[in-house]
Order: sequence, then structure tokens, then C-alpha cells
Amino acid sequence: MERRSLLQAGVAAAAATTGLSAPALSQRANARTLRFVPQANLANFDPIWGTQYVVRNAAALVWDTLYGINEKLEPKRQMIDSEETSSDGLTWTFRLRPGLKWHDGEPVRARDCVASLTRWCARDPMGQMLKDIQQELVAVNDTTFRWVLKRPYPKLLIALGKANTPLCCMMPERIAATDPFTQISEYIGSGPMRLVRNEWIPGAKAVFAKFEDYVPRSEPADWLSGGKRMNFDRIEWLVMPDPATASAALQNGEVDWWETPLVDLVPQLRRNRNIAVDIADPLGNVGSFRMNHLYPPFDNVGVRRAVQVALSQEDYMRAVVGDDTDLWKLMPSFFTPGTPLYTEAGGEPLKGPRNIDLAKRMLAQAGYNGTPVVLLVAQDQPVLKAMGDMTNALLTSIGMRVDYVATDWGTVGTRRASKEPPSRGGWNIFHTWHAGADCTNPASYSAMRTNGANAWWGWPDNAEIEALRDRWFDAGPAEEQAIVDEYNKKSMEFATWIPNGFYLGYQAWRRNVSGIVKAPLPIFWGVSKS
Amino acid sequence: MWSYIIRRVLATIPVMALVALFVFSLLYLAPGDPAAVIAGDQASPADVERIRASLGLDRPYLVRFGAWAWDILRGDLGTSIFTNLPVRTMIAQRIEPTLSLMLVTLILAVSIAVPMGVIAAWKQGTWIDRAVMGFAVLGFSVPVFVVGYVLAYIFALELDWLPVQGYTPFAQGFFPWMENLVLPAIALGGVYIALIARITRATMLEVLSQDYIRTARAKGAGQRTILFVHALKNAAVPIVTVIGIGVALLIGGAVVTESVFAIPGLGRLTVDAILRRDYPVIQGVILLFSFVYVLVNLVIDLSYTFFDPRIRY
Repeated sequence: MERRSLLQAGVAAAAATTGLSAPALSQRANARTLRFVPQANLANFDPIWGTQYVVRNAAALVWDTLYGINEKLEPKRQMIDSEETSSDGLTWTFRLRPGLKWHDGEPVRARDCVASLTRWCARDPMGQMLKDIQQELVAVNDTTFRWVLKRPYPKLLIALGKANTPLCCMMPERIAATDPFTQISEYIGSGPMRLVRNEWIPGAKAVFAKFEDYVPRSEPADWLSGGKRMNFDRIEWLVMPDPATASAALQNGEVDWWETPLVDLVPQLRRNRNIAVDIADPLGNVGSFRMNHLYPPFDNVGVRRAVQVALSQEDYMRAVVGDDTDLWKLMPSFFTPGTPLYTEAGGEPLKGPRNIDLAKRMLAQAGYNGTPVVLLVAQDQPVLKAMGDMTNALLTSIGMRVDYVATDWGTVGTRRASKEPPSRGGWNIFHTWHAGADCTNPASYSAMRTNGANAWWGWPDNAEIEALRDRWFDAGPAEEQAIVDEYNKKSMEFATWIPNGFYLGYQAWRRNVSGIVKAPLPIFWGVSKS
Repeated sequence: MWSYIIRRVLATIPVMALVALFVFSLLYLAPGDPAAVIAGDQASPADVERIRASLGLDRPYLVRFGAWAWDILRGDLGTSIFTNLPVRTMIAQRIEPTLSLMLVTLILAVSIAVPMGVIAAWKQGTWIDRAVMGFAVLGFSVPVFVVGYVLAYIFALELDWLPVQGYTPFAQGFFPWMENLVLPAIALGGVYIALIARITRATMLEVLSQDYIRTARAKGAGQRTILFVHALKNAAVPIVTVIGIGVALLIGGAVVTESVFAIPGLGRLTVDAILRRDYPVIQGVILLFSFVYVLVNLVIDLSYTFFDPRIRY
């Protein structure tokens, strides 16, 4: 082939492609369809079995809840019409809203809720507490069920309405009867959207269609509470593992809303006049420096506190989210800044200039003898990689020996469960983050537990702190804050773990989409597209 | 010939069995635990243990391998730990985009790389030759994802000619199908074009120095006839071999390309499954890829007889 004819063929092919692409692109514009890029792949769809946030977020569309929290973190009635409590606080009677239907057309009955609550109780930390004090949970009739407890549980409505995983989703009895450790295979809910099963390609796409029989509450929507009015016939979740691709797709108008834009890409998105960028979840995330209390050197509270006085949250936050100070805050506390129970009681070790010399002296006083610290660092999670690198530098600066284990999150997930010594496949430190919504009170805050062998990874053991947690559950509004202050103080002294900062994330959407709110999860009701 | 084909097809059985054993053992030994991933960050150790037991991951190696191998023999690739869907269904959902991408890339690469290699050999030592070889070095050196980003930036964001991401099934029309594949195929094809162009050039140079080429020239055959009829056909066997071997490159490259262009194919399925330790899916997909690779190379071996009639099986 001659060079000239080769070039001509290439130009002809390019021209052909160009001419044919434009109409197809314009056909995609459809105001009744929302194209959304979620934070992660919706690989499974059982909100009780799979506790990933992405599952919770999709579940909120399909399964309704008895109660839902509002912006003030108060539980509000959702599927419930009314509730009554006995004077001794032991018997709760709940009445369902009339007209509720499942996606298969069947009415929602009280026995469905009883079965759903039973399944949820097996997996949820607050649910497990309820199960332990449960006398009986029975359906009185089709619209009413009763929960009788052995002792009062004032936080019951918070448990039922909270946004933490696992969300307390209601399912038909036959589905809710599935073992809580086995995945369900039918996705029937009573929420405002239903899953289009035959269009679900795990890892790529999930489609939700409007449930025409859904009856929204009359109140205005407020996070997980109020009237969930849908303005779309169809919501498509398009999974994009590559942030650069998601960014380009949003700019190109191929998607409408991106849940978690990478901070590095935000300046580019902001330059595009068709795109709006704002904070996604006002409750943000709490970074965690987690230590193993079973083995040296972190079995020694003196060593843990030495690290605490040297740790600079600012350094961590700049490494994690950069220099945009709108995105992070220092938090000399375990609790989410800006939430009602936030306290800095006992937070002094994390305040003020960092003191490396003091940390070195404290290490020496604690008897640190150069034991290597096995630091697990997930290289496939940018946030955790940044935290791990900061910790490596921090520990080295105060004279600790670090065994830096570069691995992936899947391996960290397994290895952190190992109680073996660090030198035999165990660990000393790993990093993670907790959703700020989980850190607003002690209820679902697993990371704060200090119940030894049953505690969260690292197995901290401190009966005094556990007792404070128990007291909080029984406390009325007047005592709550004092208990949380003490809980925070004791946990800081014990250095259960070290919060390494509070940070927020962005969300981005095309300007022809309106009604997007800041919330712990993407709220689709009330959103519309012109 | 037929007995050869049957023998080769039968020979794939022990190969596949070895692949199965190897993949299963590797995954068994690899760190990571799907139960921990499923349980989530807030789960207690007891929850993780319970999930592990419910998935049968606490059973001994031989029991697990035996159960899996028995299912495979019955044509059942198992069920995904995460999606609860049969692996066969998941592969069926994803195979079309990957096959489409590989096919378009293959056609694109061969139709560009072979003429490039031939021209480079013909113009050996000239700027054309150097340009082709320079392109080949570039094709080998620049990662697929970089090419992908650059293409998406130019042709999607700046020029608005093509979509950035996604896949349209062939059933919805040839042009919509092609529209989503142009950029990924060019990105994925770079390294493949480089490989084939280099081999074509090297083989052509060797063939062009043969006596029969000189004879053809002496007989007055035209340059095009000499290059594409006399030389290329005799250079075809190594080129076709490289095309076959290069399918492995395509499979590997598809993993990255599908992620960059958000194509819901088998490559992305594999990556997701590996990150989550979804063992049945990993095993199923790798078995499939191995089978495809063995099959492609069988076809390549059989094609030798077409290009070189002296070869007999």
C-alpha cells in the first residue's frame, strides 16, 4: 500500500466515526434518568449481609426503614405511623403506616417487620444489645407489632433509624427469614425505587426503576426521613473504578452525578462551568491509627501515649487530602466534630505543637527496647497509603524501628484479624477510617470498644471504659454529655487508638441537576434534572 | 490433519487441569480473606469467622479443591462469593465487551502493524524505517492507561467526537458498538502494533535478502508484488505466531483498558474479583482465559499449513 492511500484511509475512517457519533450522544440526554457514579462497586445487594457503605446507599433506595434520621441526627418516623412506650419503658408497640406495599405488590405486614428486625439484630451492634435484653418481639396483627424488653433501652429509636451499616431495612418475611450470615437472593423492598434485576451487572452497572405504588410521607424530605419523592423513572449506577474516567465522563455529560471525586481532580472540575462541586457528607470521616494491644510495644500504654504526643493530625490530613483546609479539621477527640455529643475532654495530648523530644523521653520511660513495629500499609487505598507513610516517618522520628509491610487492603483485612505475634504473621499498626456518621455517639462506634477479646481489631481491654459505654445507653439526655466527656477522656488516657484527623470529601454534579444535599449518603429523593 | 486437531484439543484437557490446580493452589496460599471484606470494617472477629464458615472457607484444602474440581467437571464454575450469582452468568454478562474489544484491537493492530513492518523493511535505513521503529519503541514504552487518558482527553473532552467510557452491545447497532470501542482499541492496540510491526520488519528483512526475491526482481515483478506476494507470505509464519502469542498481551492489556474506559468486561471482573478475593470468579475467569489462549494458539498452528504448504500435521 502506498503511504498516501494509507493516510487517506485513516482520514476517511476518522471522518466516518466522527459523523456517526454525535447523534448517539445527544440521545442519551434524558431528564427522567439520572446517571450516577457511586463510590464503589455494588457487588452484592443485601444490606444486612454486606455492610459496605455502597450497599447501604443503594439499599436506602430499595428498602424503607421504620425510622430515619434527619439532619439533626434525630430519628423520625418513616414506615411507622405511631409508637407507644409503656411507663416502665419495657414495652414498645409500633403501628405501621397504612398503604405500604412491597415491590411485588403485597402489603407490608407487621410480621414482615418482626422477621426483618430479627435478622438485623443478629448483625448490628445495637441490634445485638437489643437481642440480649429482648423478652419478645411479636406481630400483634397485620399493622402492629410489639417489642418487650427485659430492661429499658432509651436509645431504641436511634438504633432503628440510624444511618450506620447495617441499615435496619424492612423486607418481606420470606426473605428476612434468610440466615443473617447468608446472602438473600430476592431484592424486594418497599422503598421508592426497585432494583431492575436483569440490568444489574455487578461491578459495572445497577439500575433502579421508580416504584409507582410508593406512598411518601407528607413531611418534607430530610436525609433518611420525610417524604421520599422521586423525580426520576430510572436511576443508573455506573461503576467507574478509574477516577480520571469518571471525571471525564462527568465533564462530557455522560454522567450526571459523581459521589466521590478525587480531591486532585476537583480543581479541574471547578473550572468547568457546567459542573458544581460541594462537600458530600458533612459528617465526613475520622482517620484511625490503630494499635495492637496484645503485643509489645503497644501493649504498653506508655508507648501508646508517647506516639500520641508526637502525632501531628495536620501532617496526616495534608498527606491524605492536601492543603485545602476546607476539607479537614484537627480533632482532639474521638467523636465527629460538629455533632451534638462532640467533646474535647481529655484531648490535650493531641493539641498544640507536637513534641518529638517529649515522645522520645516517654518512650524511654516506658521501656521501649527497639522492638520492631509491624506497620501494615494498604498500597491500593490512597488514603491509607498516605497515612501509612506518615506513620512510618513519625515512628522513625521518635526512634522506633519500623517493619513497613506494603500490601493491599484485602490482605490488611485478613492480617488484622490475626492474633498471632507480629513476627509470625500478626501486626502492630494498621490504618483505616471511620465514617463520621458512625462516630457521633458510642452506640455503633465499634472502634471505641475496650472489651478485650471481643473488641474490634487490636483488642483493647479496659473495663472502666466499657462501663462508661454501658452507662451511656441507659442515660437520659441530661446525663449523656457528661458520660461522653468522661468516655472520651478515659479513652484518650488509655490511648485505645489515635484519631489522626477529621476529613471531608467532595461530590460533583452537572448543573442541570438540582436538589442534591449534603448527607452521610447520597439522597436521591428531591433531586431533579432539567 | 483431523487427527492432529483432535489430539491437540484433547491435549488441552491436561493443560486446563494443571491450570486449574495451579490457580486454585495459588489462591489458597495467597493472603486475603473474602469473609473479612464481606463483613466490613465494623464487623467483629466472631462475625468474620461465622461468614468464613458459611462460605466453606474454613474447610481443608483438599476438600475445597475436590468440591470445586467436581463442580468444574459437571460444567459448573461455582457461585460468586460476593454477588451470589453463578460465575457462568457473570462471565456471560461480561464476555461480549471483552471479545469485542479484543477483536477490534486485533483487526486494527494487524491491519496497521503488518503494512508498517513491511514498509519499514522495504525502506530499511530511511527516515520511514526509523519512524516506524520509533513508533514501535513508543508503543512498547508508553503504558496503556497513559495512551487511554490522552486519547480520551483529545477525542472525547476536547473534540467531543467519541464517548469517554462505557460499552454499547452489538445488538444495538454496529456504529454505536464501534463508537465505544474506537478509543479503547487504539489504546490497547499500541503495544500489539509495536510487537507485530517489529517482528514483521525483522522477518521481512530476512526474506527480502533471499535469492528468490532477487529472482523475482530479475523477472521484472513489481515492488508491491514482491513485498506482499512473494515476501510477506513467506514471512507469515513468524508473524502469525507472534499474533497468537500476543493474544496474551491483549488479555493482560484488556484488564487495564477496561478499567480506564469503564468497559464492563472480563478484565474488570477479574480485577474486582482479585481485590475482593472472590475465589470462584477468579478461578472461572482464569480457566476461561487459559482455554481461549490454548484455542487461539491451536488455530495459529493450523494456519501454518495455509501460509506454508510444506508444513503437514
